[in-house]
Amino acid sequence: MSKVYTGRDGKLLIDGTEQIKVTNWSLTGALEVLETTTLGDDQRSYAPGVQEFSGSAALLYYNDDGRNDAATALKKVLKIAGVSSTDTVDLRLRLVEGNTNHDVRLTAYVTSVTFGASVGEVSSAQISFQGTGALTGVTI
Amino acid sequence: MAFPSHEPTGRTFDAGDYTYKTFTSQSGKEVRILYGDKRTGMTLRLEYTNIADTAADDFITHYDEVKGGFTTFTLPSQFRTGWGGSAAAIDVTVGNKWRYAAPPSVASVRPGISSVTVELIGVL
Repeated sequence: MSKVYTGRDGKLLIDGTEQIKVTNWSLTGALEVLETTTLGDDQRSYAPGVQEFSGSAALLYYNDDGRNDAATALKKVLKIAGVSSTDTVDLRLRLVEGNTNHDVRLTAYVTSVTFGASVGEVSSAQISFQGTGALTGVTI
Repeated sequence: MAFPSHEPTGRTFDAGDYTYKTFTSQSGKEVRILYGDKRTGMTLRLEYTNIADTAADDFITHYDEVKGGFTTFTLPSQFRTGWGGSAAAIDVTVGNKWRYAAPPSVASVRPGISSVTVELIGVL
């Protein structure tokens, strides 16, 4: 049976914990291609190069248990000590279909966070992330 | 081992010149004396972008076999790939052969893939 996914089916898990109040997430996968066209060719040809994964998410800044709210991602960048190589997050970008989870899982660094407060608006946090290494799971 | 027959991805040819000497008098009058009837000193730069490492090392092997820039050699026709003009126009002229003007440059791009640049000079 066909299934049309909507925002209601989307979830974001950080380090295995489902984040609450997520308003959107997006993921971009890119492949660098290496040109192998030689002088006699009429068409360009390419070989696969290095892959890259990056994306962003927006979460309402909701004070909960410190693991399932925006604080988890914010603390990866907003910290007194410098960011170290261990400050990665295990991200799972999920679309739910009944009892089946369709995930893209990756290890990533949170590369930017933006949050603030405005009159008449719920505070929200926007995060950007950069994947490091290969995807650790794909079940889409 | 002959020069590798891989098809280049870039090629730059400089036609060289005839050997002559110029004498200029105080009045500005110029006299030139030709010392040879063969053009020489042509240069050729071949680029092999994003080729397999197993192909890239062919150039190093050949460089060793001809003792670097010491021994001269001819080139296979593949170096002219894509050239629609006279074959002789971008090769060494009669009496000349190629030798290495500089060691082959190998730049690693990613695992298993490299780019190679070869610079040659035509000499009598």
